Amino acid sequence: MLLGLAALAILPFSAAAQQAGGDVLIKNATVMTASRGTLENTDILIRGGKIARIGKNLPAGTARVIDATGKFVTPGIIDAHSHTMMDAVNEGTLSVTSMTRIRDVLDPKDVAIYRGLAGGVTAALLLHGSANAIGGQSSTVKFKYGRPVEEFVVEGAPTGIKFAMGENPKRANFTIPGQPPRYPRTRMGVLEVMRDAFVRARDYKRSWDDFRAGKTRVPPRRDMELEPIVEILEGKRLVHAHGYRSDEQLNLLRLAEEFGFRVGTLQHGLEAFKFAPEIAKHGAGVSIFIDSWSYKLEGYDATPYNAYMLWKAGVNVSINSDSNERMRRLNLDAAKAMKYGGVPEQDALKMITLNPAIQLGIGNRTGSIDQNKDADIVIWSEHPFSPYAHPEITMIEGVVYFDRKADIERRGLLAKEREELEKLDINKAPGSGGAAPRIPTERVRGDIGHIEDSDIDDHD
Amino acid sequence: MKLLLFAFAALLLPASAFAQSTAITNARIVTVSGATIERGTVVIRDGLIEAVGAGVNVPADARVIDAAGHTVYPGFFDAVTSLGLQTRPATPQGGPGGGQAAQQQAAAHSTRRYPLALRPADAAADELRAGKAQFEHARNAGFTTAVSVGRTGIFNGRSAVINLAGEDVAGMIVKSPAAIHVSYATLGMQYPGSLMGTISAIRQMLYDAKRLQEMQKMYAANPRGMRRPDADASLEALIPVLDRQMPIIFNANREIEIIRAIDLAKEFNLRLIIAGGQESWKVADRLKAIDAAVLFSLNFPKRTTAASPDADPESLEMLRFRAEVPKAAGRLAQAGVRFAFQSGGMTNLADFSANAAMAVQNGLSADAAVRAMTLSPAEIFGIADRTGSVETGKIANLTVVKGDALAKDKVITHVFVDGKLFEPKAPPARPAGNPGTGTGPAAAVAGSYNVTIDVPGQPLTGSMNFSVQGQSMTGNLTTQLGAAPIRNGRLTGNRFSFDATVAYGGANIDIQVSGTVTGNRIEGSIDSPQGAVPFSGTRVP
Repeated sequence: MLLGLAALAILPFSAAAQQAGGDVLIKNATVMTASRGTLENTDILIRGGKIARIGKNLPAGTARVIDATGKFVTPGIIDAHSHTMMDAVNEGTLSVTSMTRIRDVLDPKDVAIYRGLAGGVTAALLLHGSANAIGGQSSTVKFKYGRPVEEFVVEGAPTGIKFAMGENPKRANFTIPGQPPRYPRTRMGVLEVMRDAFVRARDYKRSWDDFRAGKTRVPPRRDMELEPIVEILEGKRLVHAHGYRSDEQLNLLRLAEEFGFRVGTLQHGLEAFKFAPEIAKHGAGVSIFIDSWSYKLEGYDATPYNAYMLWKAGVNVSINSDSNERMRRLNLDAAKAMKYGGVPEQDALKMITLNPAIQLGIGNRTGSIDQNKDADIVIWSEHPFSPYAHPEITMIEGVVYFDRKADIERRGLLAKEREELEKLDINKAPGSGGAAPRIPTERVRGDIGHIEDSDIDDHD
Repeated sequence: MKLLLFAFAALLLPASAFAQSTAITNARIVTVSGATIERGTVVIRDGLIEAVGAGVNVPADARVIDAAGHTVYPGFFDAVTSLGLQTRPATPQGGPGGGQAAQQQAAAHSTRRYPLALRPADAAADELRAGKAQFEHARNAGFTTAVSVGRTGIFNGRSAVINLAGEDVAGMIVKSPAAIHVSYATLGMQYPGSLMGTISAIRQMLYDAKRLQEMQKMYAANPRGMRRPDADASLEALIPVLDRQMPIIFNANREIEIIRAIDLAKEFNLRLIIAGGQESWKVADRLKAIDAAVLFSLNFPKRTTAASPDADPESLEMLRFRAEVPKAAGRLAQAGVRFAFQSGGMTNLADFSANAAMAVQNGLSADAAVRAMTLSPAEIFGIADRTGSVETGKIANLTVVKGDALAKDKVITHVFVDGKLFEPKAPPARPAGNPGTGTGPAAAVAGSYNVTIDVPGQPLTGSMNFSVQGQSMTGNLTTQLGAAPIRNGRLTGNRFSFDATVAYGGANIDIQVSGTVTGNRIEGSIDSPQGAVPFSGTRVP
């Protein structure tokens, strides 16, 4: 009995549903497409993980039917700034750590993934922290909780990298105990570190070009630090740049233009409204908090109207969480974009679905409910912008990864499993003696409020 | 003159001309490589197994050990330890900001350019210390062979397979370097200071080593017009790993840590071995796909503290982890993953066989368990042609056990390392009966004595306690310097001798004690590197 229970528990809760796989027909829902308005009493047929048909009274055929009468359906939420499922956030020792890869430290068992699914999140941009001017290589994942780690990574998604400007990389306001002071200590120094990296990368690329052209005999050293920076210069890697102040973010856009590439996203961008036309002209996206401000000096000029003003200027805006906790309420953050300035409903929804998908370079396959897109879908108990709404089913590529009903049913099984496990000798606490027990404190990993991943937390 | 000539001639003769052989007779022999011999003889000569079998003749010169009721196993093999190594600092000293500068400076003065934690060339063989005492507890638990490697840094360095007689370093090495070992450690305040930095640093070094190898080839082909490749010892040590000549061993217990190691091994086509591997059963298919072996740690997770009423309940993940570990080895066997047992830093080596037995209760066959502590590690380290089983011509590493190797009540009676016999300490004398119960001279020596040791200018008082079994003796020596167990206790008539190690002046000193018991009086001398001193005393009634 115990073995049976344990085996069951090791599988993700929705294993049965996952294994069922196959075709699904979501029946009679209010479908918020995020691209073509809201469709009432509409069915969605999912075949092979893709949205095969959208329409009324679709025949089920062999498909499993989910009755969504009275429910709302949206595309899965995409969080364009997350540190979920990462066993490390910052390599804060150097000012350029482009050789590091978030892909190397993904933890597919992080329960925050499941909690994200329970909040309707299906994909995220996992970013290195902001401890340095040029951070590590990012990872674009779908939250396929329970699946092997490699299946999380969105195949074919453009690669990315974290940049950071301002207080966190310059570290003028704090030191890390035991760590030597690190160049740069000023905003201009941060920009210089970036420029220097681009110049070095350009030289590095030239050394390889020369070798390939037969001009040199000895192959250059493969430099894991400079290779991703060459990719930026070649337009193959997206820069996701943490920053607050408009002056330095504008400087970054100019630096990018000087080196001939386009910045992927300005992250945080609490002052982005101040130079929205310049951002629109450059073509960068902006990924923001909807209503957080004044939590640090750089955040004093923030306004919840930021999203509205950027939207109005034609900038692709996404609303992110930067937090395992806030990730679960991004639907309400989108709703606030309607309140502050009056962004239309669909455009507000886009800020947590299609817009981040476009920013991540996966807008052609997810982010909206359109034919032939991945069936990354959330079925909500009511309108997702209601504070009472909660996801009932969250699916990725047609596979159910969160099912509220199944979750509630499973709680009893888990309690029983725990009871059985605690009876085992190997799990019994020693009767007496030994050190006094330590009261566990919650492990903080990536979930650093949304005080945007300054690196102190990664080193405690 | 005649005498001198004789001595000279003796030096020229091979040692074997004088060597005596040893025959273990009437024993049950678990050869591991072949069928078990229910009653047979093992002949040992010159450190090797000369003959094994049911019908083997006992040589005329043999010292015979009648092992009726005993089982001879191949010597137990602990697949990862730090035996014989001194601990070394993990990171350089230097205070805030000093470390990095100090390292850069040090690198300029070394052929190892990478920081201290990134030095795969560091060899356990260079750091091993001889000294019999440090291996005694392992031998007492039946171990004859171990893989030894440092535990600090990201690259822990290159391991050595050693035999545990411990007399001299050159003689104890069976294979060195055996493998390069890696831990997911960080340098903390300098790069790499995080897990992702560590993986990136390993990756860069492997690329650097690859390039060095290419450059060496180019330079060998034609050095003209090309700067010579730098002789970087750290990178040179990685070249055999890239060539799959040497395995790379990742210390990894958790599933995701093992997957990360597998991914890196696939990226560079490395021969991967996982050490620890307590969740390796979860990725058995991946391990099998690249033929990676597991050095499975028998140091099972334990709940160490009692629950506090204020504490959160333990995570289900941890409860499950502990419950699954005893089943892991059986699952690896079933999946066809090659594995061997290691002690995993356990404090009490008795847990080794106890936990192996637990694995057997949880689905591993008993034969597979014995194999995992004998022949399997020898195979994984590529030395199964010379050790790991009881076969003619192999190294005479043998463990003689009364009872079953995995049984709780077993007694390890004889351990042969390179053919050298060690008789482990017997378990403490049973309370029943008194020390004087025996007959003959043994009874005369057994007992407790108050003694005075005449250290010039500083006489020490203390006690000696002896228990006697046949011609061997156990017990302890207690002075104001502390208590020391006696080793190699021997008895002939009323004469006795033993070794011990005592702490004196901040150092451990090996002493040899010999003496006689006459009635209630004890006397003799204690020999140490500092010289010999007499002692005497009387029996405690």
